[in-house]
Amino acid sequence: MSELNVKVGLIGKFDMLKFKNMAKTREKAIQAAPADEISGVFPVNEKARALHPDFLELTIDSIIARNNAKTFVLKRADGKPLPYFRAGQYISLKLPIDGSLVTRSYSLCSSPKEALSGTYAITVRANPGGFVADRLLSEKKQGDTVIASGPQGFFYYEDLRDAKQVIGLAGGSGITPFLSMARAICDGIEDFTLTLLYGSRTEEDILFRGELDEIARVCPKFKVVHVLSDEEKEGFEQGFITAELIRKYAPEGEAYSVFLCGPEAMYRFLKPEIAELGLPERLFRRKLIDVTKTPWACEGYPKDLEEGASFEITVKQGPQTWTIPASADEPVLVALERAGIKAPSRCRAGECGWCRSRLIEGTVFIPPENEMRRWADVHYGYIHPCCSFPTSDLVLEIPGEFY
Amino acid sequence: MPKYDIVVVGAGNAGLSAALQCRLAGKKTLLIEQHNVPGGAATSFVRGRFEIEPSLHELCDFGPADNPGDVRNILDAYGVKLDWYECKDCFRIVSKYSDGSPMDVTMPSGIEAFIDKMEEYVPGSREKTQQLFDLFQEVLDGIAYITASKGHADSKVLQAKYPNMLRTGAYSTKKVFKALKLPQKCQDILSTYWSYLGVDMEHLAFIHYAAMVHKYVSRSAYIPAHTSHQLSTAMVERFRELGGEIWFNCRAEEFLFEGDRLCGLRTNLGVIDCDYCLANINPDIIYGKMMPKELIPEREKKLSKARGRIMGGRMYTAYFCLDATPEELGIEDYSIFLSGTADSAEEYRNIQGGMKTNDYTIFLCYNIANPGFSAPGTCVCSFTTFGAPDEWAALEQKDYFKFKNEGAKKMLRILKEKTGIDLSGHIEEMEVASPLTFARFLGVPEGSVYGYETRDWDGMMARMMMLGADYPIKGLRPIGAAGPRGDGYSATIICGQLMAANALKDLKEWEGGKA
Repeated sequence: MSELNVKVGLIGKFDMLKFKNMAKTREKAIQAAPADEISGVFPVNEKARALHPDFLELTIDSIIARNNAKTFVLKRADGKPLPYFRAGQYISLKLPIDGSLVTRSYSLCSSPKEALSGTYAITVRANPGGFVADRLLSEKKQGDTVIASGPQGFFYYEDLRDAKQVIGLAGGSGITPFLSMARAICDGIEDFTLTLLYGSRTEEDILFRGELDEIARVCPKFKVVHVLSDEEKEGFEQGFITAELIRKYAPEGEAYSVFLCGPEAMYRFLKPEIAELGLPERLFRRKLIDVTKTPWACEGYPKDLEEGASFEITVKQGPQTWTIPASADEPVLVALERAGIKAPSRCRAGECGWCRSRLIEGTVFIPPENEMRRWADVHYGYIHPCCSFPTSDLVLEIPGEFY
Repeated sequence: MPKYDIVVVGAGNAGLSAALQCRLAGKKTLLIEQHNVPGGAATSFVRGRFEIEPSLHELCDFGPADNPGDVRNILDAYGVKLDWYECKDCFRIVSKYSDGSPMDVTMPSGIEAFIDKMEEYVPGSREKTQQLFDLFQEVLDGIAYITASKGHADSKVLQAKYPNMLRTGAYSTKKVFKALKLPQKCQDILSTYWSYLGVDMEHLAFIHYAAMVHKYVSRSAYIPAHTSHQLSTAMVERFRELGGEIWFNCRAEEFLFEGDRLCGLRTNLGVIDCDYCLANINPDIIYGKMMPKELIPEREKKLSKARGRIMGGRMYTAYFCLDATPEELGIEDYSIFLSGTADSAEEYRNIQGGMKTNDYTIFLCYNIANPGFSAPGTCVCSFTTFGAPDEWAALEQKDYFKFKNEGAKKMLRILKEKTGIDLSGHIEEMEVASPLTFARFLGVPEGSVYGYETRDWDGMMARMMMLGADYPIKGLRPIGAAGPRGDGYSATIICGQLMAANALKDLKEWEGGKA
């Protein structure tokens, strides 16, 4: 070792002893403290838990019937205030139906303000032939309880990112997050101008007609334009929402953001229309759409695979293992749900990653639109079962659940 | 439910490292993780077309392949392989010198280059800075000797070979700087790294500071090619390859004992029997919530009280994904430390005062170190500072989102004022993680990723000297940032290995006792 060319002078008395005594000094400090009971409670952590609970046990407080939909007003079963949220977020319900354990996400349509006084509202629209919506509509009554996630999702206004002027494009039940945004603007919680182009088939099909018109009447920052596809009427726009229509209502000479929430067909129709607007990506946001029901129609789907082919999935979760059937036509998550396995899932669109699982063996097809995995997850073979379709037998390891 | 030799609770850096070490020793090892991804803070999240690094600024003590640091050696020994990018400069700092004059310096890595640059900024400082680096080297060698001697360091050897370490090691960094008569401007520049340890220079032991700064300057710093989620996932995969088991979304609820010895734990996936637990959980949480009160020794209660629940590094980070390249935005540096003053004690107080007085932030642009970090034509940046716990605890829910964003706005403003870099109008995705966010995802007290402050009497070396006294629960050792090595990726990876080695020793002794 080369000779050190520095000689540190004396800092205090007995420097070297001080070093040696570091342990003694520490012990002295420890022994001088009282032996009080240790509390594992930290206020910041309590606050975090209240905002982001593992899950919520909710009671249906009231039900408001509308056209072919119902609004469920939910309270917390334990009476506590509900977590605050950002207008546009959703909750994911966990529902036992005929031995299956399914999740469905519903945008909160109430104002965040109401969470503070203890209520959320979601609206469920009839979906003939669907597995969940019609059961909810026909079976759930006041006083029933449901398990839900806390508020989730990234479909909300962010003043640092979005333009002050937002053109909302809503279709069908895609109106719900916008209703929450409109209410939040009206309540002074959000500060942006929302012009909503709301597509419905006929005047009669318009959900929340009264509420939307009333907010628009009292709140200068919110405007609603009803667009009817199957009906021509005075006072309504007729046809589909197009680039031309968006331009008609967009502010002149001012930047604007476009927010979109609607069914898959609407999204597909609007894709080229939005492209025509030439907005930078940052000014276009869409609520995620559920995974496709026709995977075989997607680009990249294996050509040689039979529609409806059936497979077997070996599922591991902690110490447990099951072998369950699966269909090529349904995401892996649906197979898990049909088997009644408590499998985590929330968004069902590949975004939240809550269902992230390890694919030990086998192959899956992931529609390109739902491919939102982390790089290392793709690299090391982790999938989001909510939007992965089996294309062979699988061995899958899924995470646990907390509720 | 099968029985395990060792259950590691928490797949953060320390937990992953510990699990690998236990598995390499052939123990039947289960790693459980309360989240559905590994890594704790060493993870990533996706927003739109971006994948975002939540916590790693630059990995210390890794080094290039031909001059490996401890962490590279450990990962090599585990067989963990991934691609890394070097963060070439040490840092740029834009602040004020103690005399009030403006400071804007960029320090390169490499000891010689660092000293040369210091001479440029502070003419006449060369000799003193060189002396400081020589002292760093002696301290590092001394620590290596003490570590290798496993608690039986020979005073005579220490006095003969490491006298300057002995003279300086127990003092605060500031006192040692003064004793060395380092020019004040030099001291100001050298204070920059204080926030990586979360304790200002008046309260941070020189030995701890010396070890870190020497490593950063001499070996440079690194980031994984695909966020720290790649590091964590690579560690998980290696652990599995070695025959380890890992359960995600599995949370430890209570540690179970037979007499005074741990026999298992209760989780949301059932009761797991085991001989030993290495828990990546803060001791205050373990003792306060997760085990029988009567088994907690008096000294542990005193230790907790003496530490006063003062947690370092209660993270606040704002992430911005931009639709412009670093060149277009005028960003040239990987990391820019932005602060109101180079006086770390004053800055520490400003941070404790809350967002109003806090003008400290570290700005990063990941694409500078790794041009492929995000899609062509884009880049990802972040701002990191610390939160004052009282402020976040007092916040009402209705004010939370706004308050969170106010901080981000302030940091964007600071960046623009101090460097001219303006990110507004380019933000495609953004997210803000407050101390509540870190508390939520990691379960750490106050959202602190640093554990107890390594302050004054409770410094890193003092903790290392007392490893024997500090872990009295039979079959249960807390690991992680609250441990002897303190905070940081490298410190916790080393801590995991060290604690696993101690656990293996305990198990061996007990087996010997049985036989």
